[in-house]
Amino acid sequence: MAVFILYPFVSTVINSFTDRRTLIPGEFVGLANFRELLHDEMFWTGLRNSTLYVLGVVPALVLLPLLLALLVQKNIPGITFFRSAFYTPVVASIVVVGLIWVWLLDERGLVNSLLEAIGIGKVGFLSDQWLLLLSAMAVTVWKGLGYYMIIYLAALANVPRELHEAASVDGAGAVRRFLTVTVPAVRSTMVLVAALSSVAAFKVFSEVYLMAGPDGGPAGEDTTLVMLVQRTGTGLTGRVGYASALSVVVFVVTVALMLLVLRADRKEDA
Amino acid sequence: MSVLEKVRPVERRPETERHPRRRGVTDEHGRRIRAWELALRYLLLLGVLALTVGPFLWQLSTSLKGPTEDIFSSPPKFLPGSPSLHNYERVADTIPVWDFALNSLKVAGANVVTNCVGSALAGYALARLRYRGRRVATLVFILAMLVPVEGIIIAQFTTMRELGLNNTLIGVVLPGCVGAMNVLLMRNAFLGLPYEIEEAAFVDGANAWQRFLRIALPSVRGTLAVVAIFAFMGAWDDFLWPLIVLSDPSKFTLTIGLNYLHGTFANDERLVAAGTIIAVAPLIALFACLQRYFFRGVGEGAVKG
Amino acid sequence: MSIPRRALVTAAVALVLPLSACGSGDSGGSTDASGKVEGDITFQTWNLRANFKAYFEGVIVDFEKKYPGTHVKWIDQPAEGYADKISADAAGGTLPDVVNVSPDLVAPLAKAGLALDLDKSAAQYEKEYLAGAWASHRIPGMTGTYAFPWYLNTGPLFYNKSLFKEAGLDAAQPPTTYDELFSEALQLAKKSDGKVATLANVPTVEDFGRYGVELMNKAGTAFSFNDAKGIELLTKYKELYDAKALDAQALTATPESSGRKFLTGAVAMNPGSALDLGNFKKQAPNLYRNIGITDQITSTGKVNMYVMGVMVNSRTKQTPAAVAFAHYVTDARNQMSFAKKVAIFPSTAGSLGDPYFTQEDGTDETRVRIAAAKSLKNAVNYTPVLFSEQMKTALRNEVAKALQGKESPKTALDNAVKTCDTLLRQQG
Repeated sequence: MAVFILYPFVSTVINSFTDRRTLIPGEFVGLANFRELLHDEMFWTGLRNSTLYVLGVVPALVLLPLLLALLVQKNIPGITFFRSAFYTPVVASIVVVGLIWVWLLDERGLVNSLLEAIGIGKVGFLSDQWLLLLSAMAVTVWKGLGYYMIIYLAALANVPRELHEAASVDGAGAVRRFLTVTVPAVRSTMVLVAALSSVAAFKVFSEVYLMAGPDGGPAGEDTTLVMLVQRTGTGLTGRVGYASALSVVVFVVTVALMLLVLRADRKEDA
Repeated sequence: MSVLEKVRPVERRPETERHPRRRGVTDEHGRRIRAWELALRYLLLLGVLALTVGPFLWQLSTSLKGPTEDIFSSPPKFLPGSPSLHNYERVADTIPVWDFALNSLKVAGANVVTNCVGSALAGYALARLRYRGRRVATLVFILAMLVPVEGIIIAQFTTMRELGLNNTLIGVVLPGCVGAMNVLLMRNAFLGLPYEIEEAAFVDGANAWQRFLRIALPSVRGTLAVVAIFAFMGAWDDFLWPLIVLSDPSKFTLTIGLNYLHGTFANDERLVAAGTIIAVAPLIALFACLQRYFFRGVGEGAVKG
Repeated sequence: MSIPRRALVTAAVALVLPLSACGSGDSGGSTDASGKVEGDITFQTWNLRANFKAYFEGVIVDFEKKYPGTHVKWIDQPAEGYADKISADAAGGTLPDVVNVSPDLVAPLAKAGLALDLDKSAAQYEKEYLAGAWASHRIPGMTGTYAFPWYLNTGPLFYNKSLFKEAGLDAAQPPTTYDELFSEALQLAKKSDGKVATLANVPTVEDFGRYGVELMNKAGTAFSFNDAKGIELLTKYKELYDAKALDAQALTATPESSGRKFLTGAVAMNPGSALDLGNFKKQAPNLYRNIGITDQITSTGKVNMYVMGVMVNSRTKQTPAAVAFAHYVTDARNQMSFAKKVAIFPSTAGSLGDPYFTQEDGTDETRVRIAAAKSLKNAVNYTPVLFSEQMKTALRNEVAKALQGKESPKTALDNAVKTCDTLLRQQG
């Protein structure tokens, strides 16, 4: 791990203080890249979108997969089929998923046909900057459901069933059992999911790239930070130095995000 | 433990059985499930089903459409008029799909082994072993997970070349061989085990290694299965890294190979769709096989009835 | 704690330094291609294996027969991630000896000293190629030519006849000038109540060039597409966008997505090439019957063409063999037989006079092919070779702001030129 993660990472940090290009070795430029960041409109757009993405996606991804896990936990006939079916979005390649959703949300796609049929009229899912971001979030949640469902399933298997039985014998309703038994029992998993999904959400790339196009939506308004890293840093004309500085910022923010989630956990622990 | 405290007062007020006696489906505890509840469950299941596999079926349908059918009609047609497996044969004719699949299988298989072994050991060390700097070690794993891959890929490649591992399948496997996230998953699973059982073993004179192998590991089979499927999936789906490491087409993995179907001069959506199905089918099969393990955890250990 | 940490950083710096030195222009192989043609070389193509395996294997066998003692290893890379792959190889020193490139890939490689200057090593071959094609691998601000021209492509404008008819337009008389195009587009949008757009893409740098805008100064040091003509074109597009004659999703469109829109009949016109005809037949047989074909619209009289090239790695250990092979793949005979396999065009002088490109046989394919071959004789690759991906993005984003009305066309183009100039300087 030291060789494959740490070494490239250290070189990224060092590059962030240079003006290195893909094919041209850089010179040390001090904090110039970071200063440029502060004045780069696109950077602030990216920061805004990545942050919005975390806020929009994480609550859904902490809660919905848990409910889904509870739904498929019981062994009823055919459940194997349902479990596997719910997992298909996770294994489907993101490129295909993107294509399909673009198709569905297109001006003349299925969703808009339905909306027109019930009298709401067309919605520009793929042309409005905010709806585009929202659509991408929906895809992320849709694709993540099965993934986090599994993590929850593994955790739910560890919940002693006596707890449930005790509660249900007591006559606690489904909602109350959920709140008093399930949630406390899988709380550490919920924190884990929150941490994992917020990091993934902050680093979102593919969904927005595929839905909003390589430019990141109209006039680049949907660009996320990692898209910006990719755009500025790759290819033969990539500004490796500047992209490295961006990567460093992404790293620092995700670390802060992780610590925030973990700290919220510890507080409850105490 | 706090959970037990919260529930215990409830237990003191036993009430009569509420479930009506009726023949029917029982859950894994042998309890009967009420009919309306069952119906509701299936209704919900079907609803989610439509959402999750709908788009996927569309892909399947496209892959079965014959050469004379419009695949871009608007509104889209969902059922192929004359379904045929011809597109699948064409995929195999166009690219050596089985060779690519074999390479992918090697890489994914190796990734599963290294990740299961590596993250189980590391996770156990983080969760159970007492030593200085455990917190720091955990933090390092968390940080490693946060390193943005997009920024370091060329540096990774240069490293690989210096080691002489570029253009080898080993080079493809190495960077992901012990995923930080998998380590954290395992750590969490080990932390969730009741410590008392291991303590008893400790008193009996079992060393850390024995406790790990005999007690801890079998109890977290569910999480291990999760790690296995995530590792398999990660390696199977990865595109950019294998593309950069490998130069020789005979070593290409399936994701890269399938990209050839997007021809330079002509793009046949049916062919692409068939390729996608070929790529995804093993993953779904693997999941279907492994899914029962997700439901075996410590709960299984404390058997009752 | 502080000492080991410092040691760690020092060690890390020591480790990274050799890495950063990799891209520098240290001398590699020789530029002299006159020696004996022998040895092992590697030839890399871009996504051609799936359909042309037999062709390339044949070319290689013939070459090895012609020059005993040579061995060519052919590798083909998939479509996606080609620039990333070449970047990693270039930075890591693992670039193959002979590489299939497009002009925008050649420029940075040449600047980094990784592309062999053919004016020095292979000047004798220049006369074998069309002048325009040979020139497309010259880089403003540098002397030399950095790749053999390979296949060319250009194509007509396709339009959906039934959509034209529905709007009350004469489907047999498609637009031939920009003015006609714009007014008919507005009519199509008006008649269909904004449901049918005529164009699906925002103007690219190539469109500005075709409209007659001077894109760059002669020295290749600064961009100039913010002149009066450029502003005029963007203003027109804004009008179209407001009237929904330019598709509402154009701001986020990719060539694939706009192609799909044409296939579904949501957009009435789409630029394409002879290759697309086969595609239409396969993907949308119903649409195919309604397809009209017309010439590219230009204000300059010169159509746009795309050029593919074959570059020789300047660090190759087998310069004579690499140059000989790059020339062999792109010579008249091999280009001609490649062009007969797929609807592209040879860049060798005289090849376009072949009966294959001049004699009608009544099919649409041949008609399109002949028209394209004719127009190629004075076609231009409008996109400047120095126009990088990052610049394309900058231009698209500013164009989008103008179309949305957030900026005036003039401000938008001024900003785009400013950003592109900065990027140009940073490329070094």
